Amino acid sequence: MSDHRTHTSPSPQAVTELRLEGVWRVVVLNDPVNLMSYVVLVFKKVFGFDESTARRHMLEVHEQGRSIVWAGLREKAEAYVFTLQQWHLNAVIEPDESQAH
Amino acid sequence: MNRKRIEVKLALPVVAPLLDVIKELADSLRKHLAAPPDLGDLDPDFRDAWVGELLSAQADDVHMLLALFDDEFFREGVVAFDEDNAEIIVRACAAVRLRLRERDLKPLGDETLETGDVDLATLDEPLRKAFMCYLFLATVQELIIQHLDESILGG
Repeated sequence: MSDHRTHTSPSPQAVTELRLEGVWRVVVLNDPVNLMSYVVLVFKKVFGFDESTARRHMLEVHEQGRSIVWAGLREKAEAYVFTLQQWHLNAVIEPDESQAH
Repeated sequence: MNRKRIEVKLALPVVAPLLDVIKELADSLRKHLAAPPDLGDLDPDFRDAWVGELLSAQADDVHMLLALFDDEFFREGVVAFDEDNAEIIVRACAAVRLRLRERDLKPLGDETLETGDVDLATLDEPLRKAFMCYLFLATVQELIIQHLDESILGG
């Protein structure tokens, strides 16, 4: 007896598209070089944070090694990471697993 | 309209020797990113364009930093910051400091770099000069951030 069930695999393109959908995080990692005041300045400039929000994220980076500074669509997250890297902050993009179904 | 500007008088005998270090680093920053980024799963073609644009922007920033130390600086010992150069200089200082860490300051360790707690007298000459340069650029950053308000730094 043969099994005629059909196995359908998503095309590579569909997989890519699915991966690019969903929520992505912009994460800033600690480095021992950049000044605290500089990191606050960058957060204010790039994200429009007020002083206290910028300081809170800076302290999170300093004390916990990382801070999630933004979450949203992949394309915009990439743009933010690029801008943060232009300012020489150690920034990465990662999927927001809490949003995965 | 008043343009906010700060002028800083620097001690030429102290700063001039540090400029050689900054110039060497500027050369290396034309080829290397100050903080090589983790580009994760980016498409390779996109990755090359990404790094290329970062390198180009970084080179422009560092060029502006070097331009501060022109003939007038060597005559008067004065550098000036205003809305045209403040952001660029503060960013260029970050690039050079990060490159100093990679190239020259590894022997000090990251904890020392973070606290800045070093007895300069114990360092050999090249390391002392590199660390002095690291501190000098941090001072320039602090000056700009403290004295030029958000209308200039665009916060």
